[in-house]
Amino acid sequence: MADTILDLSDVTLTLKGNAGPVGILHGITLAVARGETLGLIGPSGSGKSSLLMLMGGLERATSGRVHALGHDLSALGEDALARFRRQHMGVVFQSFHLIPTMTALENVATPLELAGAPDAFDRAAEELRAVGLGARLEHYPAQMSGGEQQRVALARAAAPRPDILLADEPTGNLDGANGAAIMDLLFGLRDRHGATLVLVTHARELAARCDRVVRLRDGRIDEGAA
Amino acid sequence: MSLAASARIARRELRGGLRGFRVFLTCLALGVAAIAAVGTVRVGIEDGLRANGAMILGGDAQMSFTYRRASAAELDWMHSHADAVSEVIDFRSMAVVRRGEVTERALTQIKAVDDLYPLYGRVELAPDMPIDRALAGDQVVMARDLADRLGLVVGDRVQFGLKEFTLSAILMRAPDDAGGGFALGPPTLVRRAALEGAGLLAPGTLFDSDYRMRLGGGADLAALQAEAEALFRNSGLRWRDARDAAPGISRFVNRMGAFLVLVGLAGLAVGGVGVSAAVRAYLDSKTEVIAILKTLGAESRVIFAAYLMQIGVLAVLGIAIGLVLGAIVPQLLAPVIEARLPLPVQLGVQVEPLAEAALYGGLTALIFTLWPLSRSGQIRAAALFREEAGAAFALPGWRVALVTVVLLAVLIAAAAVLSGVTWLTLWAAGGIAGALALLVVVAWALKHLARRAARAQALRGRTALRLALGAVGGPGGEATSVVLSLGLGLSVLAAVGQIDANLRNAISGELPDVAPSYFVVDIQPDQLPGFLDRVRGDPGVTRVQSAPMLRGVITRINGRPAREVAGDHWVLSSDRGVTSSAKPPKGTVLTQGTWWPADYAGPPQVSFAAKEAEEMGLKLGDSLTVNILGRDIDAMISSFRTVDFSTAGIGFVMSMDPAALAGAPYTSIATIYAEPATEAPLLRDLASTYPNITAIRVRDVIDRVADLMRGLAAAITYGALATLVTGLFVLIGAAAAGERARVYEAAVLKTVGAVRGQVLAYFTLRSALLGAAAGAVAVLAGGISGWAVMRFVMEETYRFEPLSALLVVFGGVAVTVLAGLGFALRPLAARPARVLRSRE
Repeated sequence: MADTILDLSDVTLTLKGNAGPVGILHGITLAVARGETLGLIGPSGSGKSSLLMLMGGLERATSGRVHALGHDLSALGEDALARFRRQHMGVVFQSFHLIPTMTALENVATPLELAGAPDAFDRAAEELRAVGLGARLEHYPAQMSGGEQQRVALARAAAPRPDILLADEPTGNLDGANGAAIMDLLFGLRDRHGATLVLVTHARELAARCDRVVRLRDGRIDEGAA
Repeated sequence: MSLAASARIARRELRGGLRGFRVFLTCLALGVAAIAAVGTVRVGIEDGLRANGAMILGGDAQMSFTYRRASAAELDWMHSHADAVSEVIDFRSMAVVRRGEVTERALTQIKAVDDLYPLYGRVELAPDMPIDRALAGDQVVMARDLADRLGLVVGDRVQFGLKEFTLSAILMRAPDDAGGGFALGPPTLVRRAALEGAGLLAPGTLFDSDYRMRLGGGADLAALQAEAEALFRNSGLRWRDARDAAPGISRFVNRMGAFLVLVGLAGLAVGGVGVSAAVRAYLDSKTEVIAILKTLGAESRVIFAAYLMQIGVLAVLGIAIGLVLGAIVPQLLAPVIEARLPLPVQLGVQVEPLAEAALYGGLTALIFTLWPLSRSGQIRAAALFREEAGAAFALPGWRVALVTVVLLAVLIAAAAVLSGVTWLTLWAAGGIAGALALLVVVAWALKHLARRAARAQALRGRTALRLALGAVGGPGGEATSVVLSLGLGLSVLAAVGQIDANLRNAISGELPDVAPSYFVVDIQPDQLPGFLDRVRGDPGVTRVQSAPMLRGVITRINGRPAREVAGDHWVLSSDRGVTSSAKPPKGTVLTQGTWWPADYAGPPQVSFAAKEAEEMGLKLGDSLTVNILGRDIDAMISSFRTVDFSTAGIGFVMSMDPAALAGAPYTSIATIYAEPATEAPLLRDLASTYPNITAIRVRDVIDRVADLMRGLAAAITYGALATLVTGLFVLIGAAAAGERARVYEAAVLKTVGAVRGQVLAYFTLRSALLGAAAGAVAVLAGGISGWAVMRFVMEETYRFEPLSALLVVFGGVAVTVLAGLGFALRPLAARPARVLRSRE
């Protein structure tokens, strides 16, 4: 596929547990096209989040290859992966994962600063205003609601204009109204910046908004599902 | 009912083990152990002094005189009460060794003893032999350092005064070593009879005579003292007995012990910060449990009691560990301690110091845990739904605040009473409280400034520094905890460093500029003109001063016992030099009154040192009774004059009109100011011409005092180091407690694109900022304490010592960075996905 942005071939992931090795993913082969919106669904423990982590270089595959934008992530070191994410990827988590000792503005500015952006704070403020948090720039995560924290996380992921947005159940910790608002923002960002979006979700209606849906079951792609 | 419920909750919670309480236990155990160990050693020394009083003193009781031996009446009285009376004449002299052209000289303290010496104990000699054999004929024994300095070995000849003696053995230890006071020279033992013909004890020579009595069992020492003092009133008699054989040492040990306990309390205060942080961290980790308990209907006081019980159990455990350590360590170090002290020490498990340490430990644990514990009651059930941990800084309720203040007052009062140095304790408590308050303010200011700096335009782009500033300034208690614990430990060290450096300067740096090269004592009146001609005629001598000297004890002021009027003033503590002069000596500054006429022959008059007179409450016209050579002289104070004792020149508290002292056998004292190159040949010449005189090199005296001060400074430094070690544990505890947060931060930062170098730079800068702040406060607090101690306790000028201060700041930064980096390895190595997933 000429315009493939993410390319996984025969990827396995085995983690060491207390009771011995645990197979998480088994022979995953998957390609995502540039600009595509891919939904990853499946029951709890099926390996959705682990697959997303592999795509983001946050986890290293036990075997197989993970290519992103033509780079073999399996061959990159820890720091090279960090630099790659800084330039090309934004990640949103179910638990937001904001740094508690930083304000909303600082949290969003951090990846821009790390990338050496001279106008990191201006861009961060602009991004926060875009998610409706223009009045909360100087608030700490503990001073914000879950929905607000997730908006900060969204702004942080989107601020460096990444090629790929990875979202791991971004509405999992939110009520229906907040969840819907976050999803609108997420898809809005994707549309505005033309990023590729990989979304892990339990919600069928969210999956339905994606261009393509892949279902996982027991660490394998469930070929029978649509 | 609620207490039973609390106890059940506490028991269940404690099943989780002691994880997270290592720092808590270490801090408490270390502080308690240090105080218990110091107390155990102190009581051991006191017991040793008490049990061996007679041996240390040299007899059950001792009567001493200055300038004279006991009269027949005094000797009769002693013999009528004692089974045996032993006489020891004690004076300074020069030991001289000639080897061809070369002559070596050294100052020594001669103890001229009789056949009965020692009444108690045994003199240890090398080679081992009985003291009677060692001192037979014209033989002497001397301390090893004196023999070494003179290059003497057993069998060599050594001269004292006009007579030569043979060194028969090296004096290893005499039973009464600790009984004497501060001696400028190492001791030499000789038979009194052997000194005949040495020309050393001429009239007017300064010597002490001690009469040690062996009394039968059951002698009433207090009654005997009262009888002797009544019978021989105004004779210049000084009484000592086995009840307090070495008052100087007892006082020193008591003071030192008290001071080290205060340093130990500073250590406990540092530990308290760690204890407080540990409890806070523990409760943070229990936020969810507490919220659940509240949801289930537990009242605040039930929860508070449950966690108080848990902390109480842990505190008892920590104190118990400290007590065991504090009792065992002195026993293990007993051989080292005994070898370093000139007296027998009875180290055993002592209940009293252990109880004192336990009391301090318990109070400290309560004081530092009540506030954080009170937060357990403030956690709301809603915490389950919103992350609250570490976010809020809450003041305690008024009840907790009141109880804490009361406990603090009890702790300070206990320390003041038990240490016996009330004012020093209150000053120390004020100092610790002041330092803590300063540190709290600085921690707050640091957070505030860091917050503002993190937002500064200039720092945009300097990511690691901005992250570090943001973290220091952000919510959470780590910055406060590190600044407080490390800052307090470093403050104690900085204060000790400043005092130590200032004392060294005071002793060795400033004095020699104005001090004379030599003090010469025991110059006989007929020797003085020749002596002065020789010295003044030497081109290398810049100045020489001389004055007649006698020694006298002030016994009464305006007819009342002197101590009733002027208390424990140092002028009254022993005999003092008294001089006389027809005209005011050159450079005399009278602050009040007038000098007597040159030919004055009326009732005795005295000119008194102005500063000491003011301290003792003396006025012009007051009458002083001064006992000189057993004779009372009633003199009226006719003037006050400025006397500067700090220049080591001739300074007499009292100068009398010549007629008052006419007829008294006196010698002269002289100070010689000479070029360094002149000193040795001049001394050689003087000692050959006047073998009876004793020249004391001022530099040697200063070195001897400096040695004592160094020993003192070393003991205090060890105490301060114990405080710093506690501070380090607190610091390590804070770093360890922060590790989980660092792992998380590193994972998030890596996720958004930070490389490990950036994360490491951020962690390092963050630690360095905290260390620098703690160090800076320590320098300020240490400087203020140093100034206060030098100014008010030592009565010396204070000068800020930048090198010592710099070491403290760099030390603070270094240990904080090292502790921080030690706990940065895991965060740097952790895979982001696993860290983040574990928090999902």
